[in-house]
Amino acid sequence: MKRFGKLLSFLGIAVLTLLITILLIRLVGSSVDQAFSSFLSGIFGSFYSVSEVMVKATPLILTGLGVAVGSRSGFINIGAEGQLYMGAIAVTCIAFWLNDLPAIVMIPLVILGGFVFGGVWSVIPGFLKARFGISEVITTLMFNYIAISIVGILVRTLLKDPSNSLPMSSFLPDSATLPVILSSTRLHAGFLVALISVVLVWLLVWKTPAGYEMRAVGLNPRACKCSGISVYKNIIRSSLISGGLAGIAGVCEVAGLHHKLLEGISPGYGYIAIIVALLGKNHPVGVVISALGIAALQVGSLGMQRAAGVPTSISSIIMGVVVLLILARKSIFRRLLTDE
Amino acid sequence: MALLSMKNINKSFFGKMANNQVCFDLEPGEIHALLGENGAGKTTLMNILYGIYARDSGDILWKGQAVSFASPRAAIACHIGMVHQHFMLVPTLTVSQNITLGLREKGYPFPDRKALNAAITDVSEKYGLQIDVGAYISTLSVGEQQRVEIIKLLYRDAELLILDEPTAMLTPQETEYFFAVLRKLRADGHSVIIITHRIPEVMSITDRVTVLRDGYNVVTVKTCDFTEQELSQYMIGRQLHSIQREPIVPDAGSEGLVLEDVSLKENGMERLTSLSLQIAPGEIVGVAGVDGNGQKELVEVILGIRKHSQGKIKLGGLDMSAMSVLEHKKLGIGYISDDRQQDGLVMDMNLTDNMLLKTHTDPRFIDHGLINARLVREDTQKAVEDYAIKTPGLNTPLRYLSGGNQQKLILAREMAGDPKAIVALQPTRGLDIGATEFVQQQLLQHRVKGCSILLISADLEEVLLLSDRIVVIYKGRFMGIFPNTKELSLSHIGLMMAGRTSEARKESL
Amino acid sequence: MDSGVIALVTIYLIASVRMATPLILAGLGEAISEKAGIINIGVEAIMLSGAFFSFIVSFFTGNLLLGLLAGTAGGIMVSMIHGVLSIHCKADQTIAGLALNFMVMGLTSFLFLIVFGHATTLPSCGVFSEVKIPLLWRIPMIGPALFNQNLFVYIALISIVLTAIFFYKTEWGVNLLAVGEHPQAANSAGLNVFAVRYYACFVNGVLGGLGGASITLGQLGFFMENVTSGRGYIALVAVILGRRNPVGIFAASMVIGFSQALQFNLQTLGIPIPSQVFSMFPYVVAVIVLFLSIGKSRDPAALGIPYERNKR
Repeated sequence: MKRFGKLLSFLGIAVLTLLITILLIRLVGSSVDQAFSSFLSGIFGSFYSVSEVMVKATPLILTGLGVAVGSRSGFINIGAEGQLYMGAIAVTCIAFWLNDLPAIVMIPLVILGGFVFGGVWSVIPGFLKARFGISEVITTLMFNYIAISIVGILVRTLLKDPSNSLPMSSFLPDSATLPVILSSTRLHAGFLVALISVVLVWLLVWKTPAGYEMRAVGLNPRACKCSGISVYKNIIRSSLISGGLAGIAGVCEVAGLHHKLLEGISPGYGYIAIIVALLGKNHPVGVVISALGIAALQVGSLGMQRAAGVPTSISSIIMGVVVLLILARKSIFRRLLTDE
Repeated sequence: MALLSMKNINKSFFGKMANNQVCFDLEPGEIHALLGENGAGKTTLMNILYGIYARDSGDILWKGQAVSFASPRAAIACHIGMVHQHFMLVPTLTVSQNITLGLREKGYPFPDRKALNAAITDVSEKYGLQIDVGAYISTLSVGEQQRVEIIKLLYRDAELLILDEPTAMLTPQETEYFFAVLRKLRADGHSVIIITHRIPEVMSITDRVTVLRDGYNVVTVKTCDFTEQELSQYMIGRQLHSIQREPIVPDAGSEGLVLEDVSLKENGMERLTSLSLQIAPGEIVGVAGVDGNGQKELVEVILGIRKHSQGKIKLGGLDMSAMSVLEHKKLGIGYISDDRQQDGLVMDMNLTDNMLLKTHTDPRFIDHGLINARLVREDTQKAVEDYAIKTPGLNTPLRYLSGGNQQKLILAREMAGDPKAIVALQPTRGLDIGATEFVQQQLLQHRVKGCSILLISADLEEVLLLSDRIVVIYKGRFMGIFPNTKELSLSHIGLMMAGRTSEARKESL
Repeated sequence: MDSGVIALVTIYLIASVRMATPLILAGLGEAISEKAGIINIGVEAIMLSGAFFSFIVSFFTGNLLLGLLAGTAGGIMVSMIHGVLSIHCKADQTIAGLALNFMVMGLTSFLFLIVFGHATTLPSCGVFSEVKIPLLWRIPMIGPALFNQNLFVYIALISIVLTAIFFYKTEWGVNLLAVGEHPQAANSAGLNVFAVRYYACFVNGVLGGLGGASITLGQLGFFMENVTSGRGYIALVAVILGRRNPVGIFAASMVIGFSQALQFNLQTLGIPIPSQVFSMFPYVVAVIVLFLSIGKSRDPAALGIPYERNKR
């Protein structure tokens, strides 16, 4: 019965969200029918559109996975955005610096580099939290802005393509680009990297002693201390992995999609990642599902804009509303959840 | 007419009745004890009166009027005040600010601190409660903080003072001083309710006593008509059983758990001062003392959770001083903490995961770097059977188990693999009688198996019941070590717990 | 001092104060909220809502004061949603703030597009003009910077003083601190923890909404998608830098405002230092300050933790 009530409450959230969406579409003056059909055809209309969902989902899976790993040990990572940019810097620097390496060496190297750069960017706030108890929420947020500024500086100075007046780097050497895995789409090997990361993270967090420690530290640091599990070590470890995964997201975006470093490669993936992790309940599989869902929402709303004139910002409204409703779920549906 | 009368109060938490048809009466100008064991429902009853919990049913009459306080604010407005066991003072505010917190004094919201301080000082001097009104709470001792709490109530014209375990953290002298204040208050027309489980205190200070047991009220009587033994029977509901202990067989081959001149210094404060003790295999040494005299520090130093600044701690002749907590446990020390929810368990994890807290690095459970879920489940299942843990399943989060079953899981985990030593701090705190006896039996069984056991309890009866030897701790020092024999003088131990060694020595002569 | 230098310093001071104004307002609001134990990283949403509603109302009524009120109301609305979620629903405050940022960002640009469509020129409304404070504005350097400014600057300056009095001289400030530090104790002393926290959220909404309105009605005179461009997050940094102290927040906002003013000037002067060097500056300073203040300043003990009355 309780399970049923829980299910019903989530159904309620879905209905409420749908009603709000319809209201918004009506506000624009578009036909709801047309809007929804264009939304669906925007996602499932073609082979290409489905592949676009996966393209969008790639950075969301990786950053969402990162945020989830952090959350598991109590490290609230608001800094996936900055860590993603650090990963992007890493792949660009390594690719230009060691440009004569063959792809077979280069690709693993840039992924590792992205992991290290993103990881370091996250370990600093992790260290401040673990050692001095400084809240990571604000520090990771500040590190986002610093990372984005560093990218801005680099694409105007050291890494600038001299033949282009716009602030961006030259194209990466071919050896450092991730191949397209589905011809005539933009879907690149980064998606596979994301899926492999999901499996590895699942193994790490749920099957190894280290993962057990991270989860325990997130739930009760005091009991861990009394059992000889180092809280410090585990926060450092999980913040490193958390940022590292976001860094890999940056690598995939640059090496797989843009093939060069430029500003604005992430339209807030690092922030959406927090929603991805929340909706996915910080579980690797949940993260994949929610990342695909949010990517579909964004791709579909593009279709909705083209065909029905509904602004794409509706996707960010829906995301916000869903999260707010989930946060308020237990209060809104109290009757449903506590009855009997 | 009764000043306060509570009738047929019911309150349940998560389906468990904490108060069941409880009735309570209070006369004006009396000191009334609410006596009962942990979990008997005393504090719940008073929290209901004070507006912290909402009751499920029942009536409250205050000066003949039906009342129902929605918050402490409403209770205070009716001149009822409560001092909680954990003091409700804001550490970052001054004494004066804490006392006037939430009041709308003259000039509100722009307080005239000087005038307020003068008024506070008036109150405090009237009852002999010395305090520096400008000091920050974080700089005060426990005794001083309690004074602040009482002044806070008096300043608010409380006619009824509810005090939850007021003497738990006080030394006997402080307690005497505190009782003198209470008598002054009574002479001045105040009424006092003391929540306690200490019968001697009930005898020395109260006029009447109401006994609660398992959420029911047992009896309300005049204190002077009853003896300590009779009250304790009401409270516990049975005679204390005595346990037959076989004399220990000294094992020449092993030294057991040894402390050599152990001291702990933290933030410039001497927490433990040169403690030396040897617990032979098969021996239980009980530590008696008032809460907060270094007991927690002592066990955490032994486990390596805190690092002692001086001395050696050895197990079976091996110096553990430099070892990590994990290495201590691997060497064979079981640890039962006084705060199982915080220190011992991860409440949101299930039974198997909580067993893993100790075994997750144990090679027996690891295949190729991964934890073997099947083996861990088997291990947990065995623990559930051996220790008769009542649970819906192995995947149930610990949060949904009763306190006794939570504690049993800790025992199962910490006593697995026949440890060489067990350190138990308040192992029966908050447990019902059945679970308490289970824990005590387990400790005795491990004693027979040759385990060195350090038992620390604020409950002197428990220490007397189980220990082969008794050591008294006061302000981080061992005051004396005695064999637990029939000739042992209780008043002697009591004096030592109060830090009065010279008087104790005199008495023993 | 050389008159040229004085003129230059004056110009920078004026610009810094203008840039700092939204940060001061929003920062003070956030500081009040955090002292009560509610951390709201949705300041950006509060400001954006303030900026949006202040613009819409002044555009259609032509009345700036009405716009200002609407901006305040917009801020309150967002802040109270966060308040209800974190106080009543006991939700995770960080995630609630983040979700609000998403929702308000989407909603304002959505509504703006519906009302104005994809116009080639941005619709505009007026801005509050400068008002000289007699005598005071003649003080060299400080005068023009502080006393020849628009209404929002004065509101910000007054808010600093009022917040400081509120924190350190009134019983309300003590109540706020008690609720953020030890809500159980505050409740037991007779304070209504929920009410105090709601008040704090309300004030946060007022000040954040004003901060947002100061961008549209004080600086730009128009609205566009994401017009606050991260100022809400910068306000959070100002709160950390200023250690939740009103004067500290003022100083921190001025430092940030100065680096922003410098950034704009360099861009217009065509000096080949990437502007990001300066936009990064406040964050780097904030991180350094955090390092230096290790062990000195401390967050309110109950920051971010929902208060439960009936908890056992």
